[in-house]
Amino acid sequence: MKRLYPVLIAGFSAGVFEIVPMAKSLSCCLIIPTAALFALYLEMKSTNRPEPFDISIGVRFGLLTGIFAALFGVTIETIVTLITKTNDLVESFPQMQQMLETFPVDKMTRSEVVGMLKTVAEQIRTAGFAPLYTFALLVNTLIVNSIFGIIGGMIGVKLLNNKYYGGK
Amino acid sequence: MKKVRLLIFLLILVWNLGNFIQALALLNHIFLFAFPVLKPTYHLVCHQQPDKLIHIFGTSTLLCARCTGIYLGGLAGAFALIFTGRKLSLPTKYLLYSSLPMFLDVGFVMLGVYSYSKLIALLTGLLLGSVGIVYLTELIEKFLSQNRSFTE
Repeated sequence: MKRLYPVLIAGFSAGVFEIVPMAKSLSCCLIIPTAALFALYLEMKSTNRPEPFDISIGVRFGLLTGIFAALFGVTIETIVTLITKTNDLVESFPQMQQMLETFPVDKMTRSEVVGMLKTVAEQIRTAGFAPLYTFALLVNTLIVNSIFGIIGGMIGVKLLNNKYYGGK
Repeated sequence: MKKVRLLIFLLILVWNLGNFIQALALLNHIFLFAFPVLKPTYHLVCHQQPDKLIHIFGTSTLLCARCTGIYLGGLAGAFALIFTGRKLSLPTKYLLYSSLPMFLDVGFVMLGVYSYSKLIALLTGLLLGSVGIVYLTELIEKFLSQNRSFTE
């Protein structure tokens, strides 16, 4: 368990940052790669690592950071949505609806897509929870965060090896 | 090596096509059903501020101009790498140099030196994306060569 502390700490931090609107808009796609780099840095400091990192360690740390960030992020967002009964989707729904209304597609397709969004937005507004939305969000976040985590882990290995191990 | 580079190019191509899902929906309406799923997905990696999105054929991208630039740069770089047989090894300083214009642009806009320009954001993103993909490809290839069981 102790070996997971760096990725747990970095993943939790990233998960929290991902739902803070201000932090999100400033750093967007840099949150997860930075968290993976942070996890590697924590590992290096906590174990007083004598030798440089192997890229496979970067991949593993990045992947785990991404997964934990996704799990923490979606859990926190679900709890916040349960309490506030609103989220990004609900807030951007009128704008999305407006965009879809002016979209040059046939009426049936448009109404089906708007209907899908409306159902989810309505569930969130009334119950604070939409199972389909939460599931889709979890799957999307797991995939996207894992990929960005791996990228961050690999770049993190290169940066840390350059800085602390003479570029080995 | 070429297979890996081709795969990287294809993955980035799919990601870029997703960014233009609204424009694709003009070609085939079926793509519009992917919109409600893709919008929150791309929101994970981009703020998606409406005034910073790129508008094309009466539709808009799912990513802001800067992010679109990064991924289009990545796509162009990945495409070029397919035809380069050489083993990649680029010093880290070039990654920092290529990200400098982007960070300067972000800083200048935040300080109010000049107002946000989609074109500058796109171009600085393109620069970082096209250089960044070289590093990423190098690291992926290094990882695969260290773990031969993945490829054999």
